[in-house]
Amino acid sequence: MLNLNLFPYLLGLSAFLFTVGAMGVLIRRNPIVVFMCIELMLNAANLALVAYGRFLNSEEGQIFAFMVIVVAAAEVVVGLALITQIFRLGRELDVDDLSEMKE
Amino acid sequence: MTVLFAIAIVLAAVSSLGVVLSRQTIYSALSLVLTVGMLAVLFLLLNAQFLFAVQLIIYAGAVMVLFIFIVALLSPDAEDRPTLDLRAVIGILGVVVVTGLVFVAARNGITYNTNGFHAVAVGGASNPYHTFSFPPDAVNNAGNVQTVAGQLFTNYLLPFEITSMLLLVAAIGAVYLTRRSSQ
Repeated sequence: MLNLNLFPYLLGLSAFLFTVGAMGVLIRRNPIVVFMCIELMLNAANLALVAYGRFLNSEEGQIFAFMVIVVAAAEVVVGLALITQIFRLGRELDVDDLSEMKE
Repeated sequence: MTVLFAIAIVLAAVSSLGVVLSRQTIYSALSLVLTVGMLAVLFLLLNAQFLFAVQLIIYAGAVMVLFIFIVALLSPDAEDRPTLDLRAVIGILGVVVVTGLVFVAARNGITYNTNGFHAVAVGGASNPYHTFSFPPDAVNNAGNVQTVAGQLFTNYLLPFEITSMLLLVAAIGAVYLTRRSSQ
C-alpha cells in the first residue's frame, strides 16, 4: 500500500507545475513557449487527477486524465497550425504584438 | 519507492522551471520533454500503467516531436532573459503562495485526518456508477489497465466517442489553417 504521506507532495508538485506554467504564460513572449507552458498546466492537472484517483481507490481519475491528454493533443495541433500561419504571414512571433486578430 | 518519488518530483519541478526560464526555445522544449517523462514515471509509481504508456507515446512521442519540429522550422530567435517586472513578480508570488497553500491544505486536510479520508471501494454496492464490478483491491493490483478499460468502454463510452470527434475536428482544422490560399 502506498504511503499516504506522499499525497501532499504530489498535490504540491501539481500546484507548482500549474503556477509555473501560468507564470510562463505571463512572462514569456514567444507563442511556442506559451503553448509549452499551457502543456505544463494540463500535465499538472493530470497529475492531480491521477494522484486523487490512486489515493481514493478509483480509476476514474485516470479516465479523466486520458481525456485531458486527448484534448491537449488536439489543442497543440490547432495551436501550432496557427503559429505556422502567423509566421507565414510575415508577422513577428511575439504575443505582445499579436494582440489584434486582423491580418 | 519513496526515493523514486522524490527523484521524479524534484526533477519535474526543476525541469518545469527550465521550460519557463530558458532563453532558447529548443531548450524549453527539451526541458518539457524531461518534465513529461518524470510525470510518466510518477504515473507508473501511482499504478497508472495505461497513462504511463499514453503519456510517453502521445506526449513525449507525438506532441513533443511536433513542438521540436515547429521550433526547427521557425527557428525563433533567443529571447532576452525575462526581466523582473510586475508580471514576473506576480507570477513568482503566485507560484510560492499557491504551492504553499495547496501543500499545507493537502497535508493538514487529508494526511493527518484519516477519519475524513474515505476511500470508496471500486465495485462496491454503495457506488451506483460501478456496474462493472471488480474486487475492492483491483485498482491497487498490478495490471489495472483492465479496470480502466472496463470503465472507459461502459460508463464513459459517450465521452470517449466524443473525443474521437474532437480529434477529427482538430485534424480538419489544422489542414484548413495550413493550406495555401489559392489567390
